[in-house]
Amino acid sequence: MKKVMEVKDLCKTYVIEKRQNNVLKNVSFDIEEGEMIGIMGPSGSGKSTLLYSISGMDKATSGEVILDGKNITELSEKELASVRLNDMGFIFQQMYMMKNLTIMDNILLPAIECDKNAESRKDKVTRCEDLMRKLGIIEIADNDINEVSGGQLQRACIARSMVNNPKILFADEPTGALNRQSSAEVISEIEKLNAEGTTVLMVTHDAKVASRCSRVLYISDGNIKSEYRMPEGLSERDRERALNNWLMDLGW
Amino acid sequence: MFFRILKKELKKKKAMNLIVLLFITLASMFVGAGLNNVISVMNGSGAYLEKGGVGDYVIITMGRNSIGALDEMLATEKAIDSYRLDTAIYGSRDSLRKGDGSKLETRNVLLMQDLSASTFHFFDENNQTPRALEPGHCYVTSNFLEKNDMKPGDTLEVGQGDVTVRLIIDGRLKDALLGSAFMGNTRILMHSNEFNQFLSNEEIRTSYAGQICCIDTNDVSAVEEATTKCDNVNFSQPKDTVAMCYVMDMIVAFIVLILSVCLIILSFVVLKVSLSFTISKEYREIGVMKAIGIKNRKIRFLYLTKYLGLAIVGSVLGFFLSIPLGKILLSSVTENMVLESDLGIAINAIGAIAVVLTIVLLSYLATRIVKKATPVDAIRTGSSGERYHKKSKLHLSRARRTGSSSFLAINDTVSSPKRYISIVIAFTLCMLFVLMLVNTTNTMQSENLISSFGTRSDLYLDSVSESMNIMGNSMDYMEKYFDEKDRKLAELGLPGHFSQEWQYKYNVEFNGKQSKIVCEHGFRTNFEDLVFTSGTRPQKRNEVAITKLLSKNLGAKIGDTVTIDFGSEKLDCVITAYYQSFNQLGQVMRLHPDAPVDPKYMAATMAFQITFDDHPSAKVIEERKEIIAANFTNDSVENCAEYVASCIQVVPTMLSVQYLLLGITILVVILVTILMEVSFIADEKSQIALLKALGFRSRKISLWHVLRFGIVSIFAMILAAALSIPMTNLCISPIFGMMGASKITYAIKPLEIFLLYPGIIVITTLIVAFLTSLSTRSIKSSDTANIE
Repeated sequence: MKKVMEVKDLCKTYVIEKRQNNVLKNVSFDIEEGEMIGIMGPSGSGKSTLLYSISGMDKATSGEVILDGKNITELSEKELASVRLNDMGFIFQQMYMMKNLTIMDNILLPAIECDKNAESRKDKVTRCEDLMRKLGIIEIADNDINEVSGGQLQRACIARSMVNNPKILFADEPTGALNRQSSAEVISEIEKLNAEGTTVLMVTHDAKVASRCSRVLYISDGNIKSEYRMPEGLSERDRERALNNWLMDLGW
Repeated sequence: MFFRILKKELKKKKAMNLIVLLFITLASMFVGAGLNNVISVMNGSGAYLEKGGVGDYVIITMGRNSIGALDEMLATEKAIDSYRLDTAIYGSRDSLRKGDGSKLETRNVLLMQDLSASTFHFFDENNQTPRALEPGHCYVTSNFLEKNDMKPGDTLEVGQGDVTVRLIIDGRLKDALLGSAFMGNTRILMHSNEFNQFLSNEEIRTSYAGQICCIDTNDVSAVEEATTKCDNVNFSQPKDTVAMCYVMDMIVAFIVLILSVCLIILSFVVLKVSLSFTISKEYREIGVMKAIGIKNRKIRFLYLTKYLGLAIVGSVLGFFLSIPLGKILLSSVTENMVLESDLGIAINAIGAIAVVLTIVLLSYLATRIVKKATPVDAIRTGSSGERYHKKSKLHLSRARRTGSSSFLAINDTVSSPKRYISIVIAFTLCMLFVLMLVNTTNTMQSENLISSFGTRSDLYLDSVSESMNIMGNSMDYMEKYFDEKDRKLAELGLPGHFSQEWQYKYNVEFNGKQSKIVCEHGFRTNFEDLVFTSGTRPQKRNEVAITKLLSKNLGAKIGDTVTIDFGSEKLDCVITAYYQSFNQLGQVMRLHPDAPVDPKYMAATMAFQITFDDHPSAKVIEERKEIIAANFTNDSVENCAEYVASCIQVVPTMLSVQYLLLGITILVVILVTILMEVSFIADEKSQIALLKALGFRSRKISLWHVLRFGIVSIFAMILAAALSIPMTNLCISPIFGMMGASKITYAIKPLEIFLLYPGIIVITTLIVAFLTSLSTRSIKSSDTANIE
């Protein structure tokens, strides 16, 4: 399998009132094309920091993050913005949207900004509509963001993250703010995208959500303590049970 | 605990608190200075004339054996309660030289007086009574010093007849009676040693001396009638007319007053907006405090204490700054006048206290949410963007060509216009006042006002010496004199002719009451050019037109008959029309060209007028101006617009007020833009972080914010430009009306009104918005994880 991303000796340190806090300590791992990786760990273990550091949203203190042969920790703000726009997609726990725009316009916005496919605006609009149709939110295209449910809004966020066909999709607790049903719908959409070839790296607290991943990294105290590769051919319930057992062994 | 929360409040929201503090300081500064100016201006010219001892009626005598001409009237007229009488020596422009012998510019007649013998009150530049002079020293009217670029310490050579003295200038003089822009006389106060040198000269005493008399009376009409019997009276007017001479200065004063009121309104608008906005940012904290059980009273008290603290600090700073600002605002008006409030800086202090009280009131009203809202409401209001509940009006998917930043900017302003109203109000108000002033100043130096000063010509040649030479001669002499001028013009290859407006001071009788009235008569001027506002243009020699102001004073209307004593004959004349004139403050009558005037009774002349027969272009007129200036004796040669500006006198002052106002407008625009942009950034931190996370560059985010200000400022400028013309008519016309011109056609320069000045404001806004928006660079895409 081709490597999409390599993370080498990644460190992140915060200094708060002269006190040094090492959040990530020499984290190293690879992400292969088409993988769906879950990151789990206790609160304050550094899961979100790891996600933001490897996605270039936050500057790592040291280490390398190689995406398509480029070390993104060395890129300028301008180059990083371009990488985020063209090669990465993001889903946040809180469904952040531009407040004055409709659902459709929120999804279209990064597509308008992106020029990697040299498409006309009409084509971009058509692609957005296709994506929304696929995610079952086409009927709310012209709604304002405060007129839709949490699940619909998160699906709109997924559509937005996918609109520029990213190489890798980062998700930070994508179901954290949703009820059980919406949560299942959202994770199933992410799973479908992964099945179509999108690489996914997802931070989650929820073992049920993590059990849908092909690989789960357990992070604690700024380090990857363990890694679990989900055996193939297991039923949904067995995957969840297997993961829970592994987590219990880690003291979860 | 309470003080710990308060301390945190002040520390955490440092930028916002600092901006509110800045606006409180500015508000107190503008309110303090504005209030002081309003009171000073309202006291106005009346108070100044009282301080100067001008009395109720003023008489000036001039001409041969003028001294003593009023003695009999002053001794016998019962209506006179008391009077002050000064002796003066008169001179002209030729009487003055600089210490190095070079010529000096002066308008109208020059007066020399003995300071120690004067019964009037004069003021120096600090509004103090001039101290006693040493021999060889003098005080001179400030206008004259300004015009000739002279200052205290310079030497002046003053001559009349065989006597010449050299005087060192000790200071500038404010002259209540003769120092106004309309009077425009230069007065030199000297030591008795030098003055007596002039007065002891027989020729000077009999030909160039005269008297200035200010009378205190309760019956101005009786004194006016008694004056008609006196000889050598050159000027006789009640105090009200003298006060009207300051109308030009008062125009500037009233504009400063309007500016002050505008600044006060603006300050309160901005304060209201900034307080409401900053308190709306506190809603979430308010909700949390309510949720944990802190009482409403305590929560409100916390915010009131915070804003009271800011208000006190800001107002104290503003109070001290308002003192110099008030002086700067009034300085342009007080070059010629003493305008001050008897209450001094107490007014500034009252202004500062008013600002503190207003802030406490506004904060109290703005924190009503504490009482009304439930904790959940307050927390939600703080986080859900309550202003965004309106349906989007625009769609990015349908905007084929608009870039994402431009779309976001347009969509924001269209979707939530309320959010931008304060900016629009502040910018429109400021710009409107600038544009009104620009329209007024442009009108004051345009040809549009020429009909209020006389008839239109291509060039106006002013020569005091030439005018003095022709005065008192016969009509035959005049015909030959003007023929000679026309011949010289033809010799120079310039097809045209000379003409002149003359003024006669005749005794006019209406309803048995005698008055001395200035009558205007044109010699070779085009009578058809004159504008009559109502009635019928005089058609016969016994028909006249009068101004509305004179009609009011005289009690005579269209259709009434007045008897004019032309000297050679008395004629009953019918008033057939009203017209408007700034001459003699609108107290004038227009005679028919065939009226039986005799130049030997002439009281004054206007400038010589040159009208070309070939209708030359403005460029050709300018070329011919040079030729005329080089070939005819003159003090100045001006085109029509320049002539109007020099008649009005206050154009330079108006220009300086205009630039001052523009400066203040730019300052307000800068501050409002910074305040609002900082508020927007704080409010939209999550959206900025989101855009960054989506891959938007900082440049695009700045562009979004800058364009929003661009749209709002352009909208405000269009509004201000559109309102400027009707508002100029509404606010400025009454001021011109006071001077006798009820119908004004304003000179609107579209390039200035629609492009130059709005352009300055829009560009300033864009630059400031851009610089402020650079702070969005510090918001990181990872901040999406930290947003509350």
